[in-house]
Amino acid sequence: MIKILIVDDEKPICDLIDINLSAAGYHCCSVQDGLAAIDLIEKEDFDLILLDIMLPGADGFDIMEYIRPLKIPVIFITAKHDVHDKVRGLKLGAEDYLVKPFEVLELVARVEVVLRRYHKTDQILSAGDVTVDLEALTVTKAGKPVILTNKEYGLLVLFMQNKNVALFKETLYEKVWKDEYIADSRTLELHVQRLRRKMGWEKNLVAVYKVGYRLEI
Amino acid sequence: MKFSYKILLCSIVTMAVSFGIGGYFFVNDVFRASLEREIGQAADDSSILKFAFETAALNIPSKYDMLQNGAVEEIGGNLENRGQGTQRLLRLSDENRNSLYASEGFVGDTALLAKIGEQKRAYQIIHPDEHYYIQTGVMVHALDRILYLETMRDVTEVYAERARGFAVYRSLTILLLVLSSVFLYFISYWLTKPIRLLTRAAREMTSGDYSYRAEQVSSDEMGQLTKDFNHMSHVIEENIHKLEDEIRAREDFIAAFSHELKTPLTAVIGYADILRSRKLDDEKHFLSANYIYTEGKRLEAMSLRLLDIIVAKRYRLEPQKTGAEVLCAYLKDMYAGKKEYQFQFDCEPCRICVEVDLIKTVLLNLIDNACKASEPGSVIEITGAEREEGYLFAVKDHGIGIPKEELRKITEAFYMVDKSRSRSHNGAGLGLALCSEILKLHGSELMIESTPGVGSCFSFLLPEREGAGDETSE
Repeated sequence: MIKILIVDDEKPICDLIDINLSAAGYHCCSVQDGLAAIDLIEKEDFDLILLDIMLPGADGFDIMEYIRPLKIPVIFITAKHDVHDKVRGLKLGAEDYLVKPFEVLELVARVEVVLRRYHKTDQILSAGDVTVDLEALTVTKAGKPVILTNKEYGLLVLFMQNKNVALFKETLYEKVWKDEYIADSRTLELHVQRLRRKMGWEKNLVAVYKVGYRLEI
Repeated sequence: MKFSYKILLCSIVTMAVSFGIGGYFFVNDVFRASLEREIGQAADDSSILKFAFETAALNIPSKYDMLQNGAVEEIGGNLENRGQGTQRLLRLSDENRNSLYASEGFVGDTALLAKIGEQKRAYQIIHPDEHYYIQTGVMVHALDRILYLETMRDVTEVYAERARGFAVYRSLTILLLVLSSVFLYFISYWLTKPIRLLTRAAREMTSGDYSYRAEQVSSDEMGQLTKDFNHMSHVIEENIHKLEDEIRAREDFIAAFSHELKTPLTAVIGYADILRSRKLDDEKHFLSANYIYTEGKRLEAMSLRLLDIIVAKRYRLEPQKTGAEVLCAYLKDMYAGKKEYQFQFDCEPCRICVEVDLIKTVLLNLIDNACKASEPGSVIEITGAEREEGYLFAVKDHGIGIPKEELRKITEAFYMVDKSRSRSHNGAGLGLALCSEILKLHGSELMIESTPGVGSCFSFLLPEREGAGDETSE
């Protein structure tokens, strides 16, 4: 299982990230202090570190110097909206940079991208008897291949990455169609219906009133 | 046109005019003196000749009563040839002004004859060819006859000398003008140096280098101007620095503010998002809702504090007289319920004139800070004492203390020495900023003494306000 360390001096933020990443299937630890973070990094192996810059003890840049030789990918999380700081962080070897306030979905997506870059993610997603191979782009249900269109595949991956999370129609549309969502469009609805039928998820892929859809497994 | 060139040109024109006029008068004066001398000489010559003629006329044998024209011619010829070395030019005319004898080369006109009177000698300067002559005429009495003797004296040399004088003077003037132009060029360059330096300084300042100063090269009016200019630049530079500092402080404030704002906002938005899109178990549901509540509270506290500071900055103080011991008793009541720390209140009774609520806020903030810095159970001392200059309040703790390098920044908004620690006490880093604003209103300031690990002492001196005593009697 992938282990992620969250270093932020704000407990609420740590918990927030923790809840979301845990739901996405990662194992998370969090510390609120720079020095404690270094201690923990020394003791345990992590696949990814989310690092705040303004920390008591040792600041994010100091910790970054310590992490660099360990070759653990790092994503900076900070409220500082300063280009200079961003450049400094990236130059120190950070993989990405996230500015507060951030959207949870964005965080999860970025974490995934970085992990994939480091080939740490499983290339296989599974939910119930459905498995998706992200590299081979194949979908099987109970061992039998399912044929999906491009958009249906995109939707499926999103649902499987966010199990039990209500996904907003806008979000789904924007992520899959890469276009702005038009309120009365039935395109999304049609695709979800087709996906539901093909996957046999009539009961699992539920519509959430005024929100969108949720995959309940 | 450059100023130095203007100076140069003006000086040269002035010099040329004065050289010209001066030279003209000088040369002319010399010429006139020479001419006068020549005229005198000519008059002398004329007198000598007149005398010689009269003598010669007397020596003629008196067999004739009348002087014959032939005799006149003879005497004239003798006189002409008797001149030593130089040839004399003369003419003799009879009563009717008809020429009796004239030397060869005598070219003078007859107009002069009319001017000759009984005793009067007449002269004129004639210029018949390229030569100049002084022509003199005098009346001669000889043996009852009245004759006219005219002489001519060549003065071409005097005129030539004048022309030569003018020529020499002209070339000398040109030479002098050229030489002095060179000198003047350097002089005007030197004189206008302060102007150039000032111009350069002004340009440097315009292009943004406010620390540039014009070099002072003289102590005259120009030097004074340079001095004043530099003083002006200095003042401007100071003002600009002050403004820049202010802007930087404001930028820092905005950066800190947005940072402080973003963190709770991230939590609020994030948890709200979780709540609306996930099915959570009861524990997590409560946790999320609670975080939204507490972070929202934090935002509220921060905005209220900020409002306090903004209000304090514009506040017009309305001090009331009150007793320091009354304030102290109020605080004592407030903290009576808080058993984690040992509070020791010790205030000398004294009438002070302050805005009570504001000073209460300051003291409450200082005591809260002291609590945050201290371990539970430790002593926090609040003292008030009368001093010569006013009344001194002090809040002393035995907590973690403040590192020396942090002391200066501690009253800046959003500044927290130990962020995670004050966060856990729900601080936003605005308390001391508010305190210093309030104390500024009272004409006081916050004094901080602190040793890391030993404790801190925050104190402020309320100056004795004028009229504080009078108000008590009213």
